[in-house]
Amino acid sequence: MNASLDTEHAHIRPRVDLTVWFARYGTLVSLVALLALFSLARSDVFPTVNNLLNIMNQISILGTMAFGLTVCLVMGLFDLSIAAMATLGGYVATFLLVQYPETIGVPAAVFISLAIAAFIGLINGFIVSYLGISAFIATLATGSIITGAMLGISDSKTIITGIPDEFMMIGQGSIFGISNPILIMLAVGLALWLLLEHTQIGRHLYAIGGSAEASRLSGLAVKRYAPFALAICAICAGLGGLIAAAVLGAGRPQGVGDGYLLNAFAAVFIGASSLRPGKFHIGGTLIGALLIGVINNGLSIMGVPTYWQYIVQGVLLVLALFSAGVLTLRRS
Amino acid sequence: MIVTNAAPVPSQMDGAGGAQQSGEVFLEVEGLIKQFPGTLALDRVNLTVRRGEIHALLGENGAGKSTLIRQICGASQPTGGRILIEGAEIALPSPQAAAALGIAVVHQHSNLVSQLSVCENLLLAETLPRRAGVFVNWREAHRRASRLLKRVGLNIDPRIEVGRLRPDESAMVSIAKAIGTNAKLIILDEPTTALLPVEVSVLFGHMRRLAAEGHAFLYVSHRLAEVFDIADRVSVLRDGRNAGEWTRAQMSRRAIIEAIVGGQKSWNEEAMQSTPTRGAVALSAKAICGGRVAELNCEVRAHEILGIAGLPGSGAEEAFDLLYGRHAMTGGRLEVAGNQVTFRSPRDAKKAGLALVPKDRLAESLLPGASIRENISLPNLGKYVADPLLRFIRRGKERSDTEAIARSLSIKMAGIEAPINSLSGGNQQKTVLARWLASGAKIFLLNSPTAAVDVGAKAEIYALIRRIAADGAAVIFTSTEVEEFPRVCHRVLVFREGYVVGELAGKKATEANILNLATGDGDER
Repeated sequence: MNASLDTEHAHIRPRVDLTVWFARYGTLVSLVALLALFSLARSDVFPTVNNLLNIMNQISILGTMAFGLTVCLVMGLFDLSIAAMATLGGYVATFLLVQYPETIGVPAAVFISLAIAAFIGLINGFIVSYLGISAFIATLATGSIITGAMLGISDSKTIITGIPDEFMMIGQGSIFGISNPILIMLAVGLALWLLLEHTQIGRHLYAIGGSAEASRLSGLAVKRYAPFALAICAICAGLGGLIAAAVLGAGRPQGVGDGYLLNAFAAVFIGASSLRPGKFHIGGTLIGALLIGVINNGLSIMGVPTYWQYIVQGVLLVLALFSAGVLTLRRS
Repeated sequence: MIVTNAAPVPSQMDGAGGAQQSGEVFLEVEGLIKQFPGTLALDRVNLTVRRGEIHALLGENGAGKSTLIRQICGASQPTGGRILIEGAEIALPSPQAAAALGIAVVHQHSNLVSQLSVCENLLLAETLPRRAGVFVNWREAHRRASRLLKRVGLNIDPRIEVGRLRPDESAMVSIAKAIGTNAKLIILDEPTTALLPVEVSVLFGHMRRLAAEGHAFLYVSHRLAEVFDIADRVSVLRDGRNAGEWTRAQMSRRAIIEAIVGGQKSWNEEAMQSTPTRGAVALSAKAICGGRVAELNCEVRAHEILGIAGLPGSGAEEAFDLLYGRHAMTGGRLEVAGNQVTFRSPRDAKKAGLALVPKDRLAESLLPGASIRENISLPNLGKYVADPLLRFIRRGKERSDTEAIARSLSIKMAGIEAPINSLSGGNQQKTVLARWLASGAKIFLLNSPTAAVDVGAKAEIYALIRRIAADGAAVIFTSTEVEEFPRVCHRVLVFREGYVVGELAGKKATEANILNLATGDGDER
């Protein structure tokens, strides 16, 4: 009986290991495969330093927002207000610069707009922790409130004139040939990676995401972490919108973040299916964002109509989640 | 499909004729065997249930009660033996087959949908009456539900949500639902666990009346006092075998308890031999109350293992939640090492040097998917913080510390970074204990630390608990398995209905004595 069980086990092992391997490295492999495919198909345009930097530049806003979103998904909180928060970040900064050109400089404008984002993020967190409303619904509601407030303040008018050049440098300048948005994204990613992987707060965020009750019984002040995580996420979303405004040279009062909402979730969830399946982590989110960037860039270089980008992204997201799901299913 | 008034509800017929039929055998189980891989769960078990009889089935956890019920209600197939209903041998391939033959089960956690109305629950499995074949005819549905409720003597509005009922009312709705399916034998699996004493007596009143109408009840419970109150006949299982059967006239508390715990464990069996080194008082509770705990006075010293025993719902387990700040105390005074403390949250309790190992390992203590290292260091990360501002964690120190403690408890693992899910139940529980040993806790609250742990690992965990006490901590222990108290504790307090009804120490702390106090009025006869 025992012997037969053992041989059965030995027989199954290689197949199981392949599943594990695929779940872990599947997204990374598909990223490399896509890079190779596009490079072969358009060897003249795709695999150039310029184009690769271009891809990085294209995902920098998405990446910045997705990194922030990773922090609250680690805790199991869905933040749907990031789209509205991005709009707020860009609009408030340009609004302040144009309304008070004498008193408020660029650093102050950036600081104030991000502080407002952080404050709303804190409110999100308090609603979740102390009113007991799920983050999904709470952030949907605050997102709607922010959207309404922005439309009211702006009278639905986009700010175009009077934005100082220094502000636009945030989105359009570069250091050693690498554009500022890329540098900002990488800096945010590094800081949040350190936070999540190497500090006590980060470890507690993972613990609460794993089991809130076990964490509470272990003496963690569980309720304090949702405001923190949602504030971090809000700052990143606001920063993303601010970069978008600087790139564009305009402060739009609506719709800035809409395109990033789904992509940010896609990047984070694709990330959660790579390297450490079932876990949200910054490295994975970067892979997710890169994958989305490479697909969009590659397909458009190949001359494939834009609508295909959405279809391919959707299919990819399902595949990534399926492979991660297979692994967690098998585990339990 | 149009349903007329005359439709299902089997009401009047057996209601009137039932009384005469009582005494006839309804269910007969003969030599039932259930073999699981490695264990014989049922070993030639016999059981006879007559019409109109309330038959109590008793036994410890793991004695085979649930397995027997699962065979009778078609949830599982026996390996051998026969089941007869009204004299005819039958096969029960599914719960539906059992229901068709008139067997219904009311589980401990009721099988009602709390967001739906009583009426919707009662008629859940049926086709609701319709108007024009489309729209639900609610008036007719409510009339049908009312008729069922009337049969069980329950006077409630069928439109009320089940979630808003008292526990005894919802237990009765479950029974009404069973009767609605024309059940002749209703199996009640610990129906009173969630009920208050007054609610229990209401439920028993209804059961007696239904029994007089000819319905048979098979009643599973831990509470002996209730069994004496309600049962016409008692059967005891032990280790998967019949351990005795008594009619109401023959019932003796002493005989039944001996049958439950096994003859070899006498009333004065030697318990934990060594008396503890007398340490200082670590924790003292003075008249604390809250939830089901009406009053708890206790004192536990360093080096001592104090047991708090009691049946489910007696307040024993709830006391742990009060002591650890998980639920608020509504009164009383708690002292840790002589200083009065108030715990507003588990965080406060942990800071005062307490540690809680909760009962449900998966839901309350483990971080699933995380590594053994992360599971051990969960409450202790503060020790590895390198700087006060950013609070970076010194991973190397964390790894070597957790590895050292895991090795000292001989946790069997592939490595400290292996996922917690890869460990056996016993090793998972040792990991939870390691977590609190590493935290330097001085008072350990252990709720069923050997739940879902195999036999060999249980012995290791007992040894570990003794070591924790020997090293100078105070331990408060409870378990759903009464036999564990004599093995683990120096002294045992016994809870019944929220009050401590007795204290047993040393040789007096035997399983039989504890069970006697926990289940009845302390009378040993």
